[in-house]
Amino acid sequence: MLKPRSNTRQNHLKLARQIIDFVLERGLHEGDHLPEAILSDACGVSRTPIRSSLKVLEEKEIVLRREEGGYFLNIAPDKIIAEGLSDLEDMEGSLAAQILSDRAERRITDVQSVSALVRRYEVPRSAVLNALKILSGEGIVVQLPGRAWAFQPILDTPNALDESLAFRLSLEPQAILSPGFQMDSQKIGLVRQQMEDFLLRPDGNLSAKAFLKLDCAFHSLIAESSGNRFARVTLLAHQRLRLSTQKDHAIPDFRLRQSLEEHLDILDSLERLQLQLAADQMILHLRRSQIRKPRTINRGILPPGRGAIA
Amino acid sequence: MNKPVIAFFPEASFGSALNCVGIAQQLQREGGTPVFICHPGFNGVFAEYGFKEYQLPTAHTAEPQTEETWQAFVTTHLAHFNLSPQEQLKTYVAPTWEAIVDTAIQVETELGALIKRIKPDAIVLDNVIMFPAIANANVPWIRVVSCAETEIPDANVPPYLSGMATDNIDRGKFEAAYLEATADAHQRYNNFRQSCGLASLPSGQFLEASPDLNLLLAPSSIRHERVKPLPQDIYVFLDGCVREEAQFDPPTLPMNDGPLVYMSFGSLGAIDTDLISRMIDTFTIIPARFFVNVGGFLESYQTVPDNVFLGSWFPQPSIVAKSDLFIHHGGNNSFCEALYYGVPSLIMPYCWDGHDNALRAEQTGTGLSLARDNWSPKMLQETVIKLLRDTEMRKRMATISKDMTKSNGQLVAALSILAKLKVSGAM
Repeated sequence: MLKPRSNTRQNHLKLARQIIDFVLERGLHEGDHLPEAILSDACGVSRTPIRSSLKVLEEKEIVLRREEGGYFLNIAPDKIIAEGLSDLEDMEGSLAAQILSDRAERRITDVQSVSALVRRYEVPRSAVLNALKILSGEGIVVQLPGRAWAFQPILDTPNALDESLAFRLSLEPQAILSPGFQMDSQKIGLVRQQMEDFLLRPDGNLSAKAFLKLDCAFHSLIAESSGNRFARVTLLAHQRLRLSTQKDHAIPDFRLRQSLEEHLDILDSLERLQLQLAADQMILHLRRSQIRKPRTINRGILPPGRGAIA
Repeated sequence: MNKPVIAFFPEASFGSALNCVGIAQQLQREGGTPVFICHPGFNGVFAEYGFKEYQLPTAHTAEPQTEETWQAFVTTHLAHFNLSPQEQLKTYVAPTWEAIVDTAIQVETELGALIKRIKPDAIVLDNVIMFPAIANANVPWIRVVSCAETEIPDANVPPYLSGMATDNIDRGKFEAAYLEATADAHQRYNNFRQSCGLASLPSGQFLEASPDLNLLLAPSSIRHERVKPLPQDIYVFLDGCVREEAQFDPPTLPMNDGPLVYMSFGSLGAIDTDLISRMIDTFTIIPARFFVNVGGFLESYQTVPDNVFLGSWFPQPSIVAKSDLFIHHGGNNSFCEALYYGVPSLIMPYCWDGHDNALRAEQTGTGLSLARDNWSPKMLQETVIKLLRDTEMRKRMATISKDMTKSNGQLVAALSILAKLKVSGAM
């Protein structure tokens, strides 16, 4: 039986992401050649799917095809994560993204049947199943006994954000301190450059969405550098969950900048191999992020748990 | 020369707190060093904008509130929010004044010690009550009136918190009822003032005019013409005082057509989840996109319509600037932000000066009002659509916005404060 066409598309998109990872890891520059043979070796697949994936990247103007000479990088690597990759992510399972967004915005409940999703999105059953497969692969939904699917916890409310930070606070410093912590210096350079570029933007022009991408990229880099395989896997999955479901419009520009400067300080310590200091800085960074605005307050009354003076 | 340290002390409400942030941002640009004295509930709020915070110590304060006491507050006062301003005098206004007086008494010693530690060159008080430690600090103090202009009485200004027109025949009755409702708290407060060496205040008043400078957040488009004009040497009107906020990019909604309507009843108004739920149900029949601030109660909402987006916090100036209509509770900061960005208001007041601003919006052609407990879906739908289609109002609002932007209230406030410092010799 033929697999749904969208599955093939998903494979091309997945491979396209691998190509981008290769570009970032190698520190390539805008205009650099992307030989199919090298990409084929690097990704462990034949040239045919590589060519299809390069076409996907060409559609997004991330690469450029020249009549003679093949494909070339058409965008500065530091812009790929901020711009190009997000487009890819949007393309990747747009129905999955729509379902996830609707759940994060509380438009659909946390238990769904395939039939209900088919009705809501007016798409074939196969498309819904494919979207659920994508979400399942990310650990965002699980199939219940029977035909229902249940969403796992996502970062959709202030309480969920609080719990996410508490969870990260318990694990991220340990990820740094576990024996075997090792960072890719090229990736450090890239992430650092992206954050420094972001800091150059004027106040009022700091996009919360772009900040979230940078934030997740930094914390993912910490996670993937950990010597503890379980911390690595768990934290990476959590950063993917943050990237796809966290919508926080509440952070003023000052705190966005301060947060990125804290990232840069942590990177400084890590590059000096002062891991204990970096772990402590991570605690400080996450604790600062834990300070949230009071939920409800007014003259004559203060919210619970904050100590009352009136 | 050292930068002058200006200590801001806003009351425990987001309106005054964020109004002060706007002034402080400008003061910082003008060479001052703003710092914040903050109530325990507000720790972290000002630091997020880059300002140093000094939290009021809580050594002699009441028991910390728990979920139960908070829920008791909600249960008690939710019903009061549907009462008339006159009925609220005994049920809401009087107990709130008692709590405010409690606050002033409880923090006096610690506040005095904190001011000595900070050594400010001036203190900016955005509150409804005087804290004697401020009056006795021997530095200039600036009063900010970020509530409605009705807080400063005049024969041609409606009674504070009344929601009445100036010439309402029941004005006298309301004023008498207000004095009666606040009498106990006022007597207690005056006794406290005397114990701190301050003169008593007339009935109904809890805060005197500053002898140095008084800043009123009362744009000219909604200002009252007073019988006794306020002396210009110590009273300065601000035409808007909007802080710089984070950028807001409205997310794409499943139904993403139509004008953008922002709704926020303030953090306290968000407790009325039943009201907001009924309004959200009605929004499904209105061809517009609705962004709704539900405060700390996001988890109370389960099935959000495709043309509605709920958030627990929005950078209000940024979203109001992109809105075609602002539905709010009449908080003065919200009303002024709507005027500043030329956005019509639909005001549904529940307490305090929200009543005054609801009427003022109608009187000045800058918005409409609806009673919280007396509307039908059809009525809400028609009112929203009327406001969205009112081209005359939109033109008027555009002119107001242009004038307010040009007048730059934050700059006026900051320069007025710095000028007073120069006069006092602190600069």
